[in-house]
Amino acid sequence: MLDVADRPTDTQDAPARTPTLGATANSWVPHDIVMRDSWFPLAHGFAITERPVRRSVYSQPYYLWRENGVAVASEFHPNEHQSRDKSGYTNAAGRYPVMEHYGYVWGWLGNPEAADARHLPSLPFLPPKGGLPRHMLGTVRFDCTAPLSLENLIDLTHADFLHANVVGDEHSESETVEVFHDSETITMVRDCRGKSVAPVMKFFSGIKSPVQDVRQVIRIYLRSHCAIAYGRFSPGDDVPLFHPCVPETRDRTRLDYAMNTSNAGLMFRHIMPKASYLVSRQDSSMTSPQSPRYMREPGRRDLHSPFDKAGQTYRMLLQDLATRQAQGDFAYRDNVSDDCSDIIGLRKELFQY
Amino acid sequence: MSRSAYWAVARSEEVTKDKPLAVDIGDQPVVLWRDAGGIVRALEDRCPHRRAPLSLGCIKPDGRIQCGYHGWIYDGETGRLKEIPNMKDKQKFPPLYKAIAFAVTEADGFVRVSLEAGAVAPAASGKTMALSGTVHIGLGHAHYVAALFDDPGLLLTLRGVDFTPYLTSELHIENGRLVMERDCQWSGPHWPAPFSADFPASLWSATDPVTGETELVLRDRDFNEYLRAVLAPIPAARGVTAVRWRAELGADRHGLRGLMMGLGDPVSLHASVDAAALRVLRPSASLHGEDLRAQIAKHLLAQIAPGTVAAAAA
Repeated sequence: MLDVADRPTDTQDAPARTPTLGATANSWVPHDIVMRDSWFPLAHGFAITERPVRRSVYSQPYYLWRENGVAVASEFHPNEHQSRDKSGYTNAAGRYPVMEHYGYVWGWLGNPEAADARHLPSLPFLPPKGGLPRHMLGTVRFDCTAPLSLENLIDLTHADFLHANVVGDEHSESETVEVFHDSETITMVRDCRGKSVAPVMKFFSGIKSPVQDVRQVIRIYLRSHCAIAYGRFSPGDDVPLFHPCVPETRDRTRLDYAMNTSNAGLMFRHIMPKASYLVSRQDSSMTSPQSPRYMREPGRRDLHSPFDKAGQTYRMLLQDLATRQAQGDFAYRDNVSDDCSDIIGLRKELFQY
Repeated sequence: MSRSAYWAVARSEEVTKDKPLAVDIGDQPVVLWRDAGGIVRALEDRCPHRRAPLSLGCIKPDGRIQCGYHGWIYDGETGRLKEIPNMKDKQKFPPLYKAIAFAVTEADGFVRVSLEAGAVAPAASGKTMALSGTVHIGLGHAHYVAALFDDPGLLLTLRGVDFTPYLTSELHIENGRLVMERDCQWSGPHWPAPFSADFPASLWSATDPVTGETELVLRDRDFNEYLRAVLAPIPAARGVTAVRWRAELGADRHGLRGLMMGLGDPVSLHASVDAAALRVLRPSASLHGEDLRAQIAKHLLAQIAPGTVAAAAA
C-alpha cells in the first residue's frame, strides 16, 4: 500500500519525475498531465449519425460520423479546408482507431498501432452492444480539469455536505473505507451502516426506513479518465453509474454518463439519472474555482486528512503513470478489460448481459 | 508594452487629409494624418517648440502638419521642421529641430504604428472588411485580452450568438499566434450549455501574443463561415483600452440564423465592462496565454542571444 502522506519524488527505486508533474501528491499540477494510448468514450452511440459531430480530447479534434452504419473518426471535418498538419494519432487518411461498445463510440488517442480492444475498460453493468433507454443517458460538463473531477468523485465524504439534499447527510452508525489499486486503476469501497436515507430514495423509491446500509464503490481507470460509481442501497436500489470524464481540454471536462437504473422502480428509474444535472452543478460550484489554482506549481502544499486517502492515492497513481508516459513507456502493466464485477461487488443477477 | 510591435491605432477611414487625429500607444501620444499623396504619417503628438499637441494644428495643402500654437510646420516622413512663419528666407534648421517620427503601415483597413524605427511591418491579407468601429473601454490592455480569452461575452456581442465556457481547442501556438476555439450556441431558447451534448457553432480566434490583435471566425458545426472579424485593442492613456475592429459577414450563412445575422449590426463591442462579472471570472485560457507568451519570449530570446537563455537555465 502506498504511503499517502508525502512520498518523496526521487526515491532510489523510483524513476525521477519530471518537475512539472509535481513533487508530491500535495503539490501536483493536474493540468500538466496528458494521458495517451487510451480509449476515450467520445459519444453515446445514438449521438453519432451520418452528419459529423465534433469532439475533442486534450484539444485534439475528433470528427465522428457513420459510414454505412459504422462509426468513424477523423482529425478533419469533411468540409474543412485542410490548413493544419495531420497529427501522429491518425493513419494516412487522417482517421483514428474507433470502436463501439457498451453503447459508446470510443476513440483512441495515441499510437494508432497500439490500439487494442483489450485496453477498453471493463463496465460489466452496461449492455455490451448498448441499448440502454435514452432517459438513463445524458451529458453534463465540468468547468475544470478532468483529474479534479475524478478526485472529487473518489472523495466521497464531500457528498455528505455538497450533495446532502440528494444522497443524505454524513450521519451513520459505522463506516469503513477500503482503497486498493493497480497500475491502471484505483478502487475505493465505502461501507456505511445505518446511514441517513438518501432524500432521492425517500421521495422517489418509497423507502420508509429512517436509515439504510450503503455500499458505495468508485473505480477509476486512470488512463482513460473513466470511472464507475456503484451504489448499493439496502433497503433501496442498486445504482451503477458510468462516469467518464473526457478531458476535452486540460481545463474542461465532458461527461457522457450512463446510469443503469433498469432494476429500480418506475419513478426512481426515470428520476435518478436526471439527478446528475443537479449533482454536477453542485460539484462544478467547487471544482470550477479550484481548477485555475491547480494550473501551476503551488507556493504551498495542500493539507490532507485520513479521509483523503483515496484522493491522495489517486494523485500519486496518476502522476506515476504520467511519469512513465513522459519517459516513453506507454505499455499497460495491468489489464483494464478484465471483468471487474467481483472487484466492484456487482450483483450479477441484476445485470445479466 | 512592446515598442517594436505594430499597433493598429486607427481604422483607415479615421485618418484623413483634412484634420489630424490624436491617438496614443500607452503613454505615447501620436498624431496621424494623410499627406498630399494620401500616405499616412505619424509623429509624436508634441511640438518640440512649446510641447503643444500637434493634433490641435492643421494639415497644409502640401501635406505637412502645422502646429496650431506658433505655426511651426513639420514634414510627416522625417519629422524635420520645415518652416517657421515669418522667418522668410531663413528656413534652414539644424537636424535637432524635429519631432519624433514613427514607422507607419496601412493595410487591411487598419493604420498600424510602431514606436521603433525600422520595425518590420506585419504581413497583410490585402482585404479590407466593410464593417468597422472604435470603442474605448476603461479596462487595461492586459486585462482586456485576458477577458477576451476567458469570456468574450463580457466585451463583445455577436448578433444571435451566446458564448459558452467550453472550448473545443484550448489556447495553443499556431504560426506565432495564440489560437483557440470556443463552443457557441444560437441565442434564444436552448438547453443550458453545461448539459448540452453538442453545440451548433464555434468561435475560432487567433491572437497576436504581443498586441492582442485578434482575428475571429464564427462558423457552424458544418464549417460554414458566418462572420469574420478583427479586433485591435491598443493600450491607451490612463489604463484605457482603445479597440478598433473590422468585420464582414460570411458568404456561407444558412437559414434563419444566417439571415438574422445580416440584419442590423452583427458585431458590437462594449464600451464598458460588467465589473462584478469580471471580478469573479475564473482565469483559464488567460493563464495558458501567460505561459505561452513566456514560451514565445524565451524562444525569441534564444534566437537573439542563445547564451543568455543557457545562462538563465543554468
